[in-house]
Amino acid sequence: MNAQNVNNAPKVRKESKNKIRVDFERTPLKERLKAKFLSMFFVKKVLWYIIRLVLLIGISYIVLFPFFTWIAGSFMAPEDFVDVTVRLIPKNFSLDIYKAIWTEQHYMQAFGNTLLLSASTAILQTFICTFVAYGLAKFKFKGNKFVFMAVIFSLVVPHQTLQLSLFMSFRYFDILGIFSFLNGGGITIPFTDITFLEGVVDIIPETWEKFTADGITLTNTYWPLLIMSVCGLAFKNGLYIFMLRQFFRGVPDELEESAYIDGSGIMRTFFTIILPLSVPMMITVFLFAFSWQWTDEFYTGLFFTTTKTVLMPKIVGIPTSLTTDYAGQNLYYSAIRNTCGIMIIAPLVVMYLFCQKYLVQGIERSGLTAD
Amino acid sequence: MTTDIKVKAPKRKKSASLDKRKARGGWLFVLPFVIGFILIYLPIVIDSIRYSFYTIKVLAGGGFELIPAGWNNYNEALFVNPDFVETLIQGLGDMVFDIPMILIFSLFMAVLLNQKMAGRAVFRAIFFIPVIISTGIVGTIEAQNTAGDYMESAEGIDDGSGTSTASEIVSAMDVEAMFSGMAVGQGLVEYVTTAINNIYDIVNRSGVQMLIFLAGLQSISPAIYESVQIDGATSWETFWKITFPMISPMILVNAVYTIIDSFTAESNVVMSFISGIYQQANGNVVSSAMSWMYFLIVIAIIAIVAAVFSAFVFYQRRD
Repeated sequence: MNAQNVNNAPKVRKESKNKIRVDFERTPLKERLKAKFLSMFFVKKVLWYIIRLVLLIGISYIVLFPFFTWIAGSFMAPEDFVDVTVRLIPKNFSLDIYKAIWTEQHYMQAFGNTLLLSASTAILQTFICTFVAYGLAKFKFKGNKFVFMAVIFSLVVPHQTLQLSLFMSFRYFDILGIFSFLNGGGITIPFTDITFLEGVVDIIPETWEKFTADGITLTNTYWPLLIMSVCGLAFKNGLYIFMLRQFFRGVPDELEESAYIDGSGIMRTFFTIILPLSVPMMITVFLFAFSWQWTDEFYTGLFFTTTKTVLMPKIVGIPTSLTTDYAGQNLYYSAIRNTCGIMIIAPLVVMYLFCQKYLVQGIERSGLTAD
Repeated sequence: MTTDIKVKAPKRKKSASLDKRKARGGWLFVLPFVIGFILIYLPIVIDSIRYSFYTIKVLAGGGFELIPAGWNNYNEALFVNPDFVETLIQGLGDMVFDIPMILIFSLFMAVLLNQKMAGRAVFRAIFFIPVIISTGIVGTIEAQNTAGDYMESAEGIDDGSGTSTASEIVSAMDVEAMFSGMAVGQGLVEYVTTAINNIYDIVNRSGVQMLIFLAGLQSISPAIYESVQIDGATSWETFWKITFPMISPMILVNAVYTIIDSFTAESNVVMSFISGIYQQANGNVVSSAMSWMYFLIVIAIIAIVAAVFSAFVFYQRRD
């Protein structure tokens, strides 16, 4: 026992009959603060904290700033665009742009149509992709690898490459020549011009204008996108299937095995045990599918050739009451287009605020692995 | 005794059929995709390849006629059209430029967003806004946002063109001054300045990649980090010795995804060139020929990238 040990030993005092008080010798406050705040470790931590905050705030600013300019411009009157002193804060506040888009560009109609289209395709895609991904992840059957390769193939081939044949196949929609046969088109051997039995069967009445000799005309309806969604072939569905497959691979097999042992069938196990588990992931997929369909212009431009069905991308334009020849026309028109953009994304932003929690959660719990 | 046999026989049958039933169940789940793929998607793909060897005439009665054209469309794309080859080379060059940038940025951001800090949820929500919103038509509107450029710029009266250089965040001059002491080439300086000035574009395009990296980071066991911390590793060492190898499979996935995403994006120069050709003569088959050639080149690039990356990928052995 040396002297220091004796010095640092806790002092024990008896306070009352059954109570003792132990006083520890403590390092003075000044020394403790010094050790804590003047160390390299602390300085590095603070520096890193500041750098990180600056970076994150800076990039958040970059992401959000264009939307600020959209909002600022949308409330400006035409005069503000020639006034050099006006930048971000409007001088002559006006709601003309909103009013014009609301009435002249048929906003409500576009909203309703797009909501119907996006919601239906997104719900279909979410469920179909969940089915397919679950089948690929949890069942070993012959051809599993092959089906997965097909999924990846459908993701890799860009739909722009298929633009023409996509249009053609839904302009003259036909499966294995059945519709064409029923309409008296006979049977055509694939990839040739040889046709026989022409006109033998003709049971489709002439009054059904959509049925041509080459198939059904499905353009300008929601059917092309719905059909592609039902088959899990719509925009980026390969990605959803991939994500969900990785998620299901992380779900322990014991869950299902115990359900099977308890006598539950495959379908019942899926619907009562697996589906409730995967809700955050499904919301993530739904969010992607819904918003990518909502802002899509490729498919809507391809399949909706007439102006009869007003969809969101079609409202982007200059309302006739706002056309102008004045100076600053360029900026004004740009602001009008931006306002169209605001009105398109407003519903998405509202939805995102509700769903963003699940977006990160779903991905985090997915346990994505690349094998 | 007979009852005993009767009980036993169905039991064995049942256990044998579970695998079969599971296999059937598997097919049932993937059935919608398989049917769609065979009946709808494959014909579309085959037709698309076939059309590139034909010219199409839409008949007045509501049908169409195919006139065989041999290699004419390919010939026209490669040798007659003055801009296609040039655009193709430019597009591929852009891709080589963009992909490392997006990968590095998204990995960096994912590592940042994975750390525990105040307001993490808010930052995450902000960072994923572009991937949800800035697609399709909204992306097109953003590309034409002259009013925004004007408001952002500190000076300069509207000259009608809307392209004011004052809105650039960093000019090459600043970075050059910064790097003048170091022995880095002009190429690197330009690369960095273009990256900084295109930061919005890069943030926009790295949303999904960030999500994939975040998921990958979450799956690394905290026990590994704890043990290296006890061994006295700095965070720099931890990143290169632990995080980087563990995340390398994700880097491969993201590299492939980024290539796919960037060459199917509408902002891609080659894609917009091809759709321009398509719209010129509503349903021009030369566009099909062009996009198939482009597709084959990109597939070759994906194969090379995947082969090169997979040599460096580290797979953790799971027990």
